[in-house]
Amino acid sequence: MIRRLEPQSGEVIDRESPLKFTWNSKKYVGYAGDTIVSALLANNRQVFSRSMKYHRPRGVLTADYWDPNTTVQVGTEPNVRGAHRLLEADMKVSAQNAWPSLDFDIKAANGLFGRFLTAGFYYKTFIKPQRLWPLYEKVLARFAPGGVVDLNTPHGYHDKRYAHPDVVVAGGGPAGLAAAISAAKAGMSVMLVEQNHRLGGHLRWGTDQDRETADDLEESARDAGVEILTDSAVTGRYDDNWIAISQRDHPGVVERLIKARAKTLVVAAGLVERPYVFSGNDLPGVMLSGAVRRLINMYAVRPGNRAVVLTANAEGDAAVADLERAGVEVARVVDARAGETISKAAGSSKQLGSVTLADGSTVKADLLVTAAGWTAPTSLLNMSGDRPSYDPAAARFFPTALPDNVIATGGLVGDGSLDELIAHGISSGELAAQRAAAVKHRLRSTVTRAQNPQGPEPPVQPDRRIGLSRAPHPELYRSDTHGMVDFSEDVSSKDLVSAAAEGFDSVELVKRFTTATMGPSQGKLETVNTVAVLAEARGETIEEVGTTVWRPPYAPISLGALAGRVFEPVRVSSLHEWHTAHNMTPILAGQWIRPEHYGDPGAEVTNVRTNVGIIDVTPLGKLDLRGPDVPKLLNLLYTNKWSKLPVGRVRYGMMCAEDGVVLDDGVTGRLGEDHYLMTTTSSGAGQIWQWVEMWLQTEHPDWQVHVTPVTTGLTSINIAGPKSRELLMRLVDDVDLSAEAFEYMNVRTGTIAGVPDCFMWRIGFTGELSFEVHVPAGFGLHVWEQLIEKGADLGIGPFGLEAQRIMRLEKGHFIVGQDTDGLTKAPTTGLRALIKLDKDDFAGKPELEWALAPEAPELPVLVAITPTDPRLVPDEACQILREGTTEIVGRITSSRFSPSLQRSICLGQVTPEFAAAGTTLTVRLCDGSDATAKVMEHHAHFDPEGVRLRG
Amino acid sequence: MIRRNRAPRYSAAALLWRGARNDSWPRVWRDPALKKSYDVVVVGGGVHGLATAYYLAANHGIKNVAVLDKAYLGSGGSGRNTAIVRSNYLTPEGVAFYDRSLDLYNTMSADLNLNVMFSERGHLTLAHTDSAVRTMRWRAEVNKLQNIDSSVIGPDEIKKIAPSLDTSPNTRYPILAALYHPPGGTIRHDAVVWAYARAADAYGVDMHQKTEVVDVVCEGGDGPDGKGPGAKVTGVRTSKGDISTPVVINCTAGWASLIAAMAGIQLPITTHPLQAAVTEPVKVFLPTVVVSGSLHVYVSQTDRGELVFGASVDPFATYDMRGTLDFTEELAGHVLELMPAVSQMRLLRQWAGLCDITPDYSPVMGFTPVEGFLCDVGWGTYGFKAGPVSGEQMAKCVADQATPDLISPFALSRFDDGVLVGEKGAAAVGH
Amino acid sequence: MLLVPCPHCGPRNSADMSYRGEASSRPDPASTTPAQWRDYLYMEHNPAGWLRENWYCSSGCRRFFTVERHTVTSEFREPPLPGSKTALPLSKTAEAGAGTDQQGGEK
Repeated sequence: MIRRLEPQSGEVIDRESPLKFTWNSKKYVGYAGDTIVSALLANNRQVFSRSMKYHRPRGVLTADYWDPNTTVQVGTEPNVRGAHRLLEADMKVSAQNAWPSLDFDIKAANGLFGRFLTAGFYYKTFIKPQRLWPLYEKVLARFAPGGVVDLNTPHGYHDKRYAHPDVVVAGGGPAGLAAAISAAKAGMSVMLVEQNHRLGGHLRWGTDQDRETADDLEESARDAGVEILTDSAVTGRYDDNWIAISQRDHPGVVERLIKARAKTLVVAAGLVERPYVFSGNDLPGVMLSGAVRRLINMYAVRPGNRAVVLTANAEGDAAVADLERAGVEVARVVDARAGETISKAAGSSKQLGSVTLADGSTVKADLLVTAAGWTAPTSLLNMSGDRPSYDPAAARFFPTALPDNVIATGGLVGDGSLDELIAHGISSGELAAQRAAAVKHRLRSTVTRAQNPQGPEPPVQPDRRIGLSRAPHPELYRSDTHGMVDFSEDVSSKDLVSAAAEGFDSVELVKRFTTATMGPSQGKLETVNTVAVLAEARGETIEEVGTTVWRPPYAPISLGALAGRVFEPVRVSSLHEWHTAHNMTPILAGQWIRPEHYGDPGAEVTNVRTNVGIIDVTPLGKLDLRGPDVPKLLNLLYTNKWSKLPVGRVRYGMMCAEDGVVLDDGVTGRLGEDHYLMTTTSSGAGQIWQWVEMWLQTEHPDWQVHVTPVTTGLTSINIAGPKSRELLMRLVDDVDLSAEAFEYMNVRTGTIAGVPDCFMWRIGFTGELSFEVHVPAGFGLHVWEQLIEKGADLGIGPFGLEAQRIMRLEKGHFIVGQDTDGLTKAPTTGLRALIKLDKDDFAGKPELEWALAPEAPELPVLVAITPTDPRLVPDEACQILREGTTEIVGRITSSRFSPSLQRSICLGQVTPEFAAAGTTLTVRLCDGSDATAKVMEHHAHFDPEGVRLRG
Repeated sequence: MIRRNRAPRYSAAALLWRGARNDSWPRVWRDPALKKSYDVVVVGGGVHGLATAYYLAANHGIKNVAVLDKAYLGSGGSGRNTAIVRSNYLTPEGVAFYDRSLDLYNTMSADLNLNVMFSERGHLTLAHTDSAVRTMRWRAEVNKLQNIDSSVIGPDEIKKIAPSLDTSPNTRYPILAALYHPPGGTIRHDAVVWAYARAADAYGVDMHQKTEVVDVVCEGGDGPDGKGPGAKVTGVRTSKGDISTPVVINCTAGWASLIAAMAGIQLPITTHPLQAAVTEPVKVFLPTVVVSGSLHVYVSQTDRGELVFGASVDPFATYDMRGTLDFTEELAGHVLELMPAVSQMRLLRQWAGLCDITPDYSPVMGFTPVEGFLCDVGWGTYGFKAGPVSGEQMAKCVADQATPDLISPFALSRFDDGVLVGEKGAAAVGH
Repeated sequence: MLLVPCPHCGPRNSADMSYRGEASSRPDPASTTPAQWRDYLYMEHNPAGWLRENWYCSSGCRRFFTVERHTVTSEFREPPLPGSKTALPLSKTAEAGAGTDQQGGEK
C-alpha cells in the first residue's frame, strides 16, 4: 500500500528534503517536516510499541504529543514522543518496550493470562513464600516500560532564562493568538507559548481557509511584537504567577527553562480529544479523528484503506470528508448524535479487521476513527487553584473560579465558530492587559527605586467578556463492551469496575490501586474516562465522583532543563593560585576549597613546632563591628564578659543558642575605641552574621552598632612557630613585636611588607607562638609571598588544614560541630569559667543557669583521651562502651597521631561517670575489636601550661 | 497471622480460581455507618492510624474502634511519601524503634495477607565532606552495636553497587564515602495502608472515610469549653455526626496542631510541605536507594522504572500543597550532580505532602495533659517508615494505660524538661 | 515562587529571603520560668490561617521584618510599604499570642 498521499495543500513536509533514518536498525527515508511517526507510517510501519503489561502491539492513536503508543528511543534519549518529535537526518530510532523484537514479543504471552493479571493482582499474590518475592520482583522489573538510559550520556548544555513579561499566553491556537495580539496591541509585552511546531492549533489540519486565518493571525502576532515560542510548553503555574516554560526552539540549547513572572497568564490550551472505551480500542488501526486529520492534512499520510467512523461532533464529520478526499473508503459512518454507536473492534494481533456495531452487525475495516468528545486540559487552571466542574450537556469539564491574574479562553471555556473563538481571545487579551497594567502599577509603587507610576492604581477590571456558548455533546464514554482506559498503563474499564467493587471506589483510591492516569500521558487522555467508568460502576454522576487534581508539570520536562547549569560556586581565597602551584592537596570544607596539606602534614607540624609555618585561614568568618554599643552586643552574644576589653586586646568567646547549645566560637579583638573585629568559625560565618543582625534589629534596635562582613575582604594568614616573631619583624617596622610590647592575646594595626592597615593579633590555636595577620585581600598574595621569601633561611613552609587540626588537637582545642553536636550545651566543653551567669542577659543564659544548678542532671563531658596502645588511633566517631556491655557511654570526637608526642591523641565526649582523669575507657573500634584508653587530666596533650604560645 | 472473619484470603491460587471463573473479589473493607460511641477513636486514616487500630484489635482485643479520615484512606503522608524504609538511625533509642518497624515490615505481607512489595534493595547515604563521613561512621558504629547491618564504604564499592553514580573525585560534591545499609529499601506505600485497613476491618474496626473531625469534646479542663491541661476527653464531633468516646488518638500529619488545639493542647510543631517527584519510566538501572544529606535529595527507582525523588521540607511553614518550581530545579541539579547520565529523563509529576516538624526531629508520642487524648504526631519526614511500630506501641500504650519503653523518649513532656532526643545531634552536625 | 513583601525592597522572591518562623516575644531572662522559656523555645501556634511571622531579607536589604501571611492561601495581609509607618512591628513588640486571631483555626 502506498501510504504517502499526493501533495496536500496544508502539508508541512518538504518533499525536496528527504531524510534518511533508521527504525530498529533498518533504513528508511522520510521528509523534513515529518514527525518520526508520520515518516514511519508513510513507510508502512504501523506498530510502534508494545503495551506495558500485556505487550499488545500498539499503533497511532492521537498522532500528537499525547499519543501513548508512539513513545520511542532516539539515540541515547529515552521516551521521545514519536508523533511530535520532528525527523532529523540520520536519526537512530528504536522501539522501547519489546523483547526480543517489536514483531515478535515473548512477553505478549501475558496477554493470554490477561484475566488473571487484573489490576492490583500483585497485591494478592507472591505473598508466600515471602523469600521468593525478591525473585518475582526482579522479573516484574524486566517489564518496566520506557527507554534505556545510557550511563555514558553526556550532561548536555542547558541554560535558564528569567523573563518578566506582562502577559504569558499558553497555547497558540486561534484564541491564544488573538489574545496575544490584543494584549500586545494594548502595549503589553507578551510571550506566546505553543507546544506544536507551528502556530494555529486545529486550524493547521483544517481547511485552506482555516490555514489562511492561522497565517494571518501569526503575522499579526509577529507584527505586534509578540515573542513566539514553538515546540515549547508552559509546564507550570506557581505562586504569584511564577510561570515555568520549557523552551525547545532556542538555538544551541536542547531545552531551556524559562522562569517568567507574568503579570497575567492567559490559558488557551485548547481541547484534547478523548478515546472511546470499547473492546479492541487499542488495536493498531483504531485512531481518534484528530489523528487522521493531522496525518492526512499535515503529513500527507493515508491512515488506512477502509474505514468506519464513529462521530459525535463536527470534527468527526470533517474526518469523514478528509478520509474520502484521501481516497480511503468510508464503509460506515456511525453517528452518535443519532444514538448510534459501536460495540467492539476485532482483528489480528497487529491490525484491526472488523468493527461490530451496537446493533450487532459487523463491518470489515482496517481503520476505525472515533470522534467521541473532548477533555479540557485544565492542568494550569488546577495549579491556579481552580476546581473545574462537569457539564453533562457538553460532556466535559469547565473552569469555575480563577484568580484575577489567570484568564482562560478558547476551547477550555466553550465552543463557537472560529470568529467567536477569535473574538473571545481578543477580549481575553484586553482583559489580561488591563489586569497586567494594574499589577504593574502596584509593583512600581511598592518598589522604592522603581520609576514611580503616574496617577492612582487602576482598579482590577471585572470580567465583562462575552462568554462562549457550550455546544451540546453526547456523553460518550464506554460502549457495551470493556476496553482500554489507560493505554500507557494497560488499565481497562473492567479493571476499574472490579477495583470499585472491591472497595477502591473513590477516584483517588481507584487511581492508586489500578495506576490509571499515572503514566506518561499524565491523564490527558485517561482521567475523564476513568471518572466516567467509575461513575457508571457506582451508579453516580461524573460530577458526584469528581476528578483527581492535575499536578505540575503540564508536560514532562527534562531533568537537564530543570537543572540548568548548576550554580553553586566554590569559594577560594586570594592565595588559591599559589596553593595550586605549590602542590596543594585540596579539601572541600563547607563552601571553601582549602589546602589540606602540601604533601606531608606530619612534616608540616614538625616544621611549625621547630621553625615557622604559615597557613591560609581566610575562610575564618570575620565581622567588622563599629559603634559605641559593641561591648553590649558582645556581652549578649558570648557567654563571657566583654565590657572591660581594652583597646589592643583580643579575647576568646563561646556563643550559645537560646537553648544553651554551643553555636560558635572565636576571638574578637578591639582595634580602636569603637572598632572591633569578630572572628567566627569558617562554617558558621554566614549564620553568625545573620544571628548578630537578628539581635541588633529585633531585640535591640536602639543599640548603635554597624556590622560589616569582611571575610573575603581580608586575607588571613597565621604565622606560627618559635621563629614566627623573627620572621614577622623582617616585614613590619611600625609595630613593636617584642614579647614585652606585644603580648599574647593582643592586637595591633600596622604595615606588613609595605601594606598599611593590616591587623595582627597573637593567638594560639596551634599552641605555638603565633601571629595571625589580616591584610586587605588585594595584597594577600604579596604578603604571603614576602613571608615565604623572607623566611627562607628560617625554614619557613606553608602548612595546611590537616597540620592545623593535628596541632589544635595536641593542644586540646575543640571544634564546634565536630567535638560538639546539636545537643552539646556549653558546660560540656569544660570552659565553665567562660560562662558568666552574673551577667544580666546573654543568649541561652536561662538554660545554662538551669543546666548548672546543683540539682540538674549532669551533662556529658568533653575530655582528652589517650589510648593505652600509643600507636593506635581510633577512628573519629568510635563509640566508648561500658566495659563488657554494649552500653554507649561516649564517643571519640577527634583523633590523630601526634608527630610532636609520637603517640595517639583524642578528644571525646563521655558521661560524667567516666569523665574523671585516669578513668579507663573501653573503645569499640571500627573492626569490632575493643581497645582501652585513659582519660587525661588536661584537654591539652601538648604543652598544657601554654609556655610556648606565650613566648 | 490474623484470624479473619470475612475476607477471603489472597493467594495466587485464589487469583487463578477467581480469574478462571470470572469471579470478582469482595470488598476490601466495609463501609459502615457511624456508631454513637466507640471505645477508641483514631483520627487519621493513614499508616499510623490504621496500624494503631489494627494492633488495638489484634493484640489487645479492643475492637470497638473507629478510624476517621477527612478524605480517603492513605490520602495524607502515607500516600505521598517516597516509601523508603531503614533503621540506620543515630541514637540507640532511634535504632531500636525503627528496627522493630523494619521487622514488622519484613513479615507484613504474610502477616496481613497482602503483598506490600517490600524490596530490601539496600540503602546508600552518601557523604561529600569529611565531616559527613564522620557522621556516617558515627551512625554505623551505633548501628553495629545494635546488630544492624550498616557500614561505611568507599567510592569503589559504591560504584559497584550503583554504577550510575559519578564517583570521580573532581565533581562539585565528590562522593567520599557512603553509609551502606543492606536491609533498607522500599515498599509499596499504598499497599501498606490497604493491608492494615483490610486486616483491621476483618477484626470489626470501623473505617469512616470523608469524615472530618471538627471538634474534640472535653470536660474539666482549665481552658475554654473545659479543654486544656487537666481535662478529660468525652467525645468527638465530626462532619457526619457526634461520637462519644473516652479515648481519642491523634494520628494525623499536617493537621496535628489543629486537632491538638481542639483538645486545648499546644504542640512544638510547625507544618511544612515535603515535595516529591517522579520521572517517566526507563528500564531499571538503579538497584538501590541513594540518599545525599548534603544535597538534600533521595532517589530510588521503582519496579515500574520511574525514578522517585524526594528532598528536604520547604523552607517556610505552610499548609499549601501545590508545590514549587524551585524544588524541581534544585532537585534536578543535585540529581545530575550524582548521576549525570539521567539528564535526558523527564520529570513527569511533582506533588507535596504535609510534614509536622519538631525541634529535635523526633515525634511526639503517648499521653498528653488531657486525659484520654493521645498523640502520635510530629513525624517530620520519616513517619512512614515508623508506621507499624508506632501503631503497635500506641495500641499497647492505650491498652496498658502506661507508656511503653520503646516510645518513652518521645513524650510531649520532654519539651517541658528541655531534654530533647539525640537525633538532633546528627542533624545539626555540619554536613 | 511566592513573592514576599519586603517593606524596604518591595516584593521579592521567597528564595531571596530567610524564613525566621512565627513571631514570638522573648521572656525576660531575669524572671523567666522554665515553662515560659521552653514555650518560647519550642511551642508553636502553627495555625491554618493568618500567621504573624518573621522574615530576613538575606539577599536584599538584610532587614528583619514581620508580616502576616495566610498559611493556606499564601496571601499577605496589608503588605507593609517601604519606609512607611505602617510596617508591622518587629517581633519584640509583637503581641503575645500572635497568629491566634479569630481566623486562626480556619481551614
